[in-house]
Amino acid sequence: MIEFLRSNQMYIVLVIVLIVWGGIVFYLVLLENKIKRLEKSMKRN
Amino acid sequence: MTGLSSTYAIVAKDIKSELRLRYAVNALVMFIVTSVATILFALRFDRPSPALYAGMFWVVVFFTGMSGLSRIFVSEEERGTTLTLRLVSAPSPVYFGKLLFNCCLTLFLSASVTILYLLAFPGFVIQSYDIFLSTVVLGSLGFASAVTILAAIIARAQTRGTLFPVLSFPILIPLLMTVMDATDRALQGDELAEAFGDLRVLIGYIMVMVAGSYLLFDYVWSD
Amino acid sequence: MRIVKAAAVTLITFVLVAGIATPMTNAPGSWAEFPVIRGLEQNARNIFFHVPVAWTTVVAFLVSTYYGMRYLRSKNVDDDIKSVSSAGIGFIFCILATVTGALWARFNWGSYWNWDPRQTSIFVLLLIYGAYFALRSAIESEELKARLSAVYSIVAGLTVPFFIFVLPRMLTGLHPGAKADVEGNGPVLEFKMAPNMLIVFFISLLAFNLLYVWMLDLRVRVGRLEYEQSLH
Repeated sequence: MIEFLRSNQMYIVLVIVLIVWGGIVFYLVLLENKIKRLEKSMKRN
Repeated sequence: MTGLSSTYAIVAKDIKSELRLRYAVNALVMFIVTSVATILFALRFDRPSPALYAGMFWVVVFFTGMSGLSRIFVSEEERGTTLTLRLVSAPSPVYFGKLLFNCCLTLFLSASVTILYLLAFPGFVIQSYDIFLSTVVLGSLGFASAVTILAAIIARAQTRGTLFPVLSFPILIPLLMTVMDATDRALQGDELAEAFGDLRVLIGYIMVMVAGSYLLFDYVWSD
Repeated sequence: MRIVKAAAVTLITFVLVAGIATPMTNAPGSWAEFPVIRGLEQNARNIFFHVPVAWTTVVAFLVSTYYGMRYLRSKNVDDDIKSVSSAGIGFIFCILATVTGALWARFNWGSYWNWDPRQTSIFVLLLIYGAYFALRSAIESEELKARLSAVYSIVAGLTVPFFIFVLPRMLTGLHPGAKADVEGNGPVLEFKMAPNMLIVFFISLLAFNLLYVWMLDLRVRVGRLEYEQSLH
């Protein structure tokens, strides 16, 4: 696999970008859940 | 008080107090003199291109305006007369009165810069008087029309000094770019017809700014 | 709302893969190949990311101004929350657009900054966003803050038509389609992009807008929670 990545460098870019994007999506989902929790507790009060 | 007499009264009051104390006018003139002197020291005997002269001209006008023009509303706050003004007249006369006073100030400002530049820089030769005159007049009016509503906004804010240039610069960029281009043409001796595009933009800018500010002024002024 | 979020994630992932991984050849044979554009070659892939981000920041500004106007009429705090939230996201996207644009400019036109009309106007938008937040931080009272920043964003919005028509006349443009004064579609179509590239591009445009909607929704909900908390 390393050989494949070394020859087609564009795919290295793709992997990096997908990792970054995955991190962002993970953060957004985290925020989403946190806000849902806060809204629920606000409603209860 | 009717609208027109209110407007006239406000302009007259501001002009009279200005002539009495000469506070704003002095500050403006001092700023212009120091700016021009600084440029003189930097240039010595060099002769920049017309485009550079045009740019320098409006840079000085811009920064002098930034230092002095917010006073039209801030002085009211400082003197504690804002409330009185709000009680005595409707918002529109206040806006137009301040706008007219601001126009007088900016015209005075650009006239002073012009005179100083003609005296200080031998390379600053105006080749097309018609373009130059119309550009400076329209540019000053445009400056005043954009700056009045912004001065009203920052008069109600906390850190007034540095906020005014920060807010004004993006709004004034179309004006500055057009006016620098037109002044460049004036210094190079173009025909009046060639500068029509720029002049039309300036007139449009004035109309848009005055109309928008007039509609929005009430939201800034009244609580 | 859930559809928007799922769609945003899947579409952007698709665009990332399609934009970066699809090979470029001189004579594209199938739908899975992009044509090589002279002068750009691999750099053309930037179109899928830089242009939608720039487009979204303008959308965010218009939305912010719209809610500002609604606030002035309704005096409803919720409208102001939406206005600030949109401005915040627009600010982030504007920084991204300016930076990606400057980077692309470095590799295509030689230097990071060129006084090209489009580059200059995205920078001016950045200044407007900065001024908007500077104004908000300088005012204590919430009501005054909302009112004055709404007025400022409207005044700034008034100058936008001037940028669209004035700047291209003043500055010689490097951006493709500089003579034309149509936003968005101008440069895209001037490139004469191949149909499969166009599809990926428009999907990207949609996807980034959906992402913006999701981010806006999150921020607005946080803003509302903070407001509720401040009332207690």
